[in-house]
Amino acid sequence: MISVESVTKRYGALKAVVDLSFQVDYGEIVGFIGPNGAGKSTILKMLSTYIRPTRGRITVDGLDVVEDSLAVRRRIGYLAGDTPLYPGMRVDKFLAFIGKARGMSGGGLQQGLDRVVELCGLEPVLLQRISQCSTGYRQRIGLATALIHDPPILLLDEPTHGFDPLQVLAFREMLGRLRPGRVILFSTHIVADVEAVSDRILIIHQGRILGSGTLGELSAASGRPGRSLEEIFAHLVRESATTESAHA
Amino acid sequence: MPDATRLSRGEFLHGVRIITARELEACFDSPIAYIYSAVFLVLSSAMFMNTFFLAAVVDMSAYFEILPYLLIPFAAAITMRTWSEEMAQGTLELLLTLPLRPFQVVLGKYLATLCFYAFILLGSLPIVIMLVWLGDPDGGLILASYLGALFLGAFFLAFGLFASCLSRDQIVAFVLAVLLGSVFVLSGHDKVVEVVDGLTPGWQLGTWLCESVSAMPHYRSFGRGILGAGDVLYFVLMSAFFLWMNEIALQRSKF
Repeated sequence: MISVESVTKRYGALKAVVDLSFQVDYGEIVGFIGPNGAGKSTILKMLSTYIRPTRGRITVDGLDVVEDSLAVRRRIGYLAGDTPLYPGMRVDKFLAFIGKARGMSGGGLQQGLDRVVELCGLEPVLLQRISQCSTGYRQRIGLATALIHDPPILLLDEPTHGFDPLQVLAFREMLGRLRPGRVILFSTHIVADVEAVSDRILIIHQGRILGSGTLGELSAASGRPGRSLEEIFAHLVRESATTESAHA
Repeated sequence: MPDATRLSRGEFLHGVRIITARELEACFDSPIAYIYSAVFLVLSSAMFMNTFFLAAVVDMSAYFEILPYLLIPFAAAITMRTWSEEMAQGTLELLLTLPLRPFQVVLGKYLATLCFYAFILLGSLPIVIMLVWLGDPDGGLILASYLGALFLGAFFLAFGLFASCLSRDQIVAFVLAVLLGSVFVLSGHDKVVEVVDGLTPGWQLGTWLCESVSAMPHYRSFGRGILGAGDVLYFVLMSAFFLWMNEIALQRSKF
């Protein structure tokens, strides 16, 4: 389970995340949605232990991301935004490097490799250098690195970036298959992705949660049931801007 | 705040080995490594040969006297990409979210650059063979000098790695490492010591820098065939200090 309690993250004077709290349980897919710069990636970076919260506490299965960061990193699979990969490496060698760095070896490593190659459809590019792969394949390689050790917690930052419509559909199916027994948290600014696969939606704007719940719950809370997620999102952002200007 | 999770020695070394192997593979997979090696070997050998034919003495002291000055830009060129490239292409995030301690990654990268440097140093062995063929050089002195060159290179690579961690721009990392290298080498040069002493007559700053900071007096001991514990300790402690600084700089990037 992921638990975020009153977390704030500052970059100098800039508040990227402000007093944020939420929980995600096993078997749940939660989608973050928000405009660019809303703080989605910052939240995932803190969960992945890459950066530390300025204030507040984050736990993953009861383990603190600051005090037990190594144990947390063992439990998570993380696809960072912009999909960082080593362009000069061959795909199979890169995946093997990630597997070994995650403590896998021998038959276990081979099984993990075979599983992610099949799951992410990497067979055609396995012997190519990453620099020779298309954006869609690079994204799939990134997904494979997050999945190779079969983690119980999956954190995906803009996972469908660079995918064509067929790949987007395949990704949504894959998330559905991965759901049982896992916590899946992903961020996107593509409304259709969140609508299609999320059990719960978190709407983020300027580092704050503006709304949380299923599409039906968010729609009902917005005062006009039947609204689409785009309309709810626009309504909440406008409402937040009005409140802020009134406070100013 | 220290991480509560404990790693066994085997787990620690396994992580270091994985990083070293990847770094070495990346290094030898690129033409840059071969260009660096060729340029270094041609330059060092050509400069040695010039002195060797003029002095007509069967020893390698001229080679090891030139080495620190060549190492200033060369070690910086080896290390400049180490962290800067990771930061520029975003792979630092990938590395630091793997279940490895930052020091494992630092040590893995350091050992890879050290192996690469040792490999290039071995490229000068034909000079030794030539000297043995021409006369009867002092084998012990040559061995001690090689050991000194290894310690000096290990030190240069440690602060080069630290410099690379301070900027995502490889040129900035290179310039920083060259500056640090110049301080540690030139502060041990007789002329520099004289000039600095002259500028600070009451303080004898040049002599103090040479005796306390410079790597040169410690390196020269090896060149005289002396393997002093103090000299070895200087290189080991200075290298460890910069590796530790490197880890701290990585940890600071989390805030």
